[in-house]
Amino acid sequence: MTEPTHAPLHTVARGRARWHRIIVRPVLQRRARVAPAAQAIAFVIGIVLALIAGAMLLWGSGNDPATVYQRMAESSLGGFDALSRTLLRATPLAIAGLAVAVAGSMGLWNIGAEGQMMAGATVAAGFAMVAGDLPGPVLIVLMLVAGAVGGVVLVVGPALARAYLGVSEIITTLMLVEVAIRIVEWLKVGPWKDPESFGFAQISPLPDQASLPGLFGQVHIGVLFAAALLLAFWLAVSRTAWGYELRMAGSSPATARYAGISLQRKVLTALLLSGGLAGLAGAIELTGTATRLEPGLSSGYGFAGIIVAALALMRPSGVAVVAFVFGAVLRGGQSIQTLGVTSSIATILQAMILIGALVAAVLLNYRVRWVRPVGHPSEKSAPQAGPAPGGAPPSEGSSHPEASGV
Amino acid sequence: MSEDAVIGLLVATVQFATLVYLAGLGELIAERSGVLNLGVEGMMAMGAVTGFMAAIATGRPWIGFAVAALVGMATAGVHALVSVIMGAGQVVSGLAITIGGLGFAAFIGQDAVRERADAVFTDQSIVGLSDIPWAGPILFDQPPVVYLAGILGIAAWFVLTRTRLGLALRAVGESASTTDSVGHSVTMLRSSAVLVGGAFAGAAGAFLSLYMAAGWTEGLIAGRGWIAVALVIFGAWRPGRLAAGSLLFGFTLALQPRVQTFDLSIFGLEVNTISPALLGILPFLLTVVVLIAISFRARHRPSPAPAALTLPYRREER
Repeated sequence: MTEPTHAPLHTVARGRARWHRIIVRPVLQRRARVAPAAQAIAFVIGIVLALIAGAMLLWGSGNDPATVYQRMAESSLGGFDALSRTLLRATPLAIAGLAVAVAGSMGLWNIGAEGQMMAGATVAAGFAMVAGDLPGPVLIVLMLVAGAVGGVVLVVGPALARAYLGVSEIITTLMLVEVAIRIVEWLKVGPWKDPESFGFAQISPLPDQASLPGLFGQVHIGVLFAAALLLAFWLAVSRTAWGYELRMAGSSPATARYAGISLQRKVLTALLLSGGLAGLAGAIELTGTATRLEPGLSSGYGFAGIIVAALALMRPSGVAVVAFVFGAVLRGGQSIQTLGVTSSIATILQAMILIGALVAAVLLNYRVRWVRPVGHPSEKSAPQAGPAPGGAPPSEGSSHPEASGV
Repeated sequence: MSEDAVIGLLVATVQFATLVYLAGLGELIAERSGVLNLGVEGMMAMGAVTGFMAAIATGRPWIGFAVAALVGMATAGVHALVSVIMGAGQVVSGLAITIGGLGFAAFIGQDAVRERADAVFTDQSIVGLSDIPWAGPILFDQPPVVYLAGILGIAAWFVLTRTRLGLALRAVGESASTTDSVGHSVTMLRSSAVLVGGAFAGAAGAFLSLYMAAGWTEGLIAGRGWIAVALVIFGAWRPGRLAAGSLLFGFTLALQPRVQTFDLSIFGLEVNTISPALLGILPFLLTVVVLIAISFRARHRPSPAPAALTLPYRREER
């Protein structure tokens, strides 16, 4: 279908809406000085706003917000056992968040971490099926490797397409999430169906020795992997030439190309590493908490990891903090079910923290100026619309993709 | 395979196509203005649960449908505020809409789960046309939302390609600064497109809860919002191709629960051995293939994707 011919665009303006001629409107102007640690402040503001909104929601549905919040805090932060339950949930969040942050530190969005976690768990479970006789430690290490491989397998297509064809990784990685989940659903009713489950279909359980050793309380040693990976990523990105090139390739592709850095190879490494980490997170979740592979194993950790990485501005220290807070929110959400409150309050709080922090970050980086329109009755002159008084003229270049800083 | 089974399959195809077409059309309008909204899944859930509850309360499905569209619009308003007015990242904002919308819908729909819906849409046969063999039952003996989706599709096509508003909307999706410089408000155009998109997604959710499932459960949307996102790409950001794509995607969705009952062999392949879960992969894989095909073709012809998609705009910045 060819586009119909139209009048030139400039004649269209005659028919435009006139609302912004009469309304005093806000304009965002970048602040010359941004408060130090603006993102940390934004995160705290996001938490406060989410708690206020959540309290209104709870109150509106006939619950006492104070009781619910007290239970959430006690069960996630109050004491040794509670903290261990929070860390249990923070572990996959941190690794998934790290996976997204690796790609994000060069400006790529791995939206498919959820799918790569499932792929990693699937390949790890498959490996345990064929090599279930191996001794525990060997089996677990190989399952974790298999998990990373599974994540890489799911991301290799989008990574190649992004690096060599310029296909946006946002949609391709996202599409493969649904593919991975449906493959597990197919395995559940088909080839991997447990022959000993008669009533309803489920996948055969993992061998007994294929479970990660516990550390303390509910926590398994996966939390140490998460900490080590965060540290390694911090060292790699901020202390090595590789990390410097990665960040440069993200922030200024032209400079990077001029400096002789292969952008294609950087895109490929970042995305494959990201997928591998997400796959590892899936294998850790499988061996750490589950007895068998299920379609709902990842249960949103991959998508939450994107929020974690975004709130952390792709920095490893931030990922650790945000993952811990989100782990506490998830644990708290689970604990209030005994009060008759649904655990969906946890996902609501997560989304609201993000939205509140996004808005707060913009307001910390920008000043709101109220612009009176040209031609407003209160102004004498100005016969026709032009640039707003005091405002900069319309810029010719297109917008900045990372203008908000989030 | 009996004739009834084939007609039943095609009737369901049209209904599933309507579901993903409504949501996809909304996403198309938003994306043509340069805003990617990954919140379709959440907006559909919000529309589905509120529409269902409103229909129960009033006894009228159309009121539920209208409420769903308004709630979808309000949900999309959060995305418009964060990503268009504030200029924060569209990807994370959209994901927050999906995650928050699904959670919020589950929260407010706790008591609606057990409700039986008596105020649902019923099939409306069009006098004269519904007696035509094959086409009659498939196209003209459907719930009114199906006809409405057809009308909305034509209206969206007309507005996008034949009016000044549509030209401005498409222009802002290609280059916000150019559109701004000729005097259009980028914020106004993009916010309106996102809000209209939300209304469409909410309405699609209500079609699910007020006709196709005739009830509300957590997990009702089950990835149909993601299919709508895929459909926009599959349809190359054009309303007409979107309709064709929705029929294909609708066919795979309609086939899933039925495929194992079909006693049919195509080229030696027994149809009833195809796994429904694997069939469900098809729309997503096809979309990836289409994206790659577009990028190959883009070496000779311009890409059909709006050039400014996912790029926020602030006049004061380059």
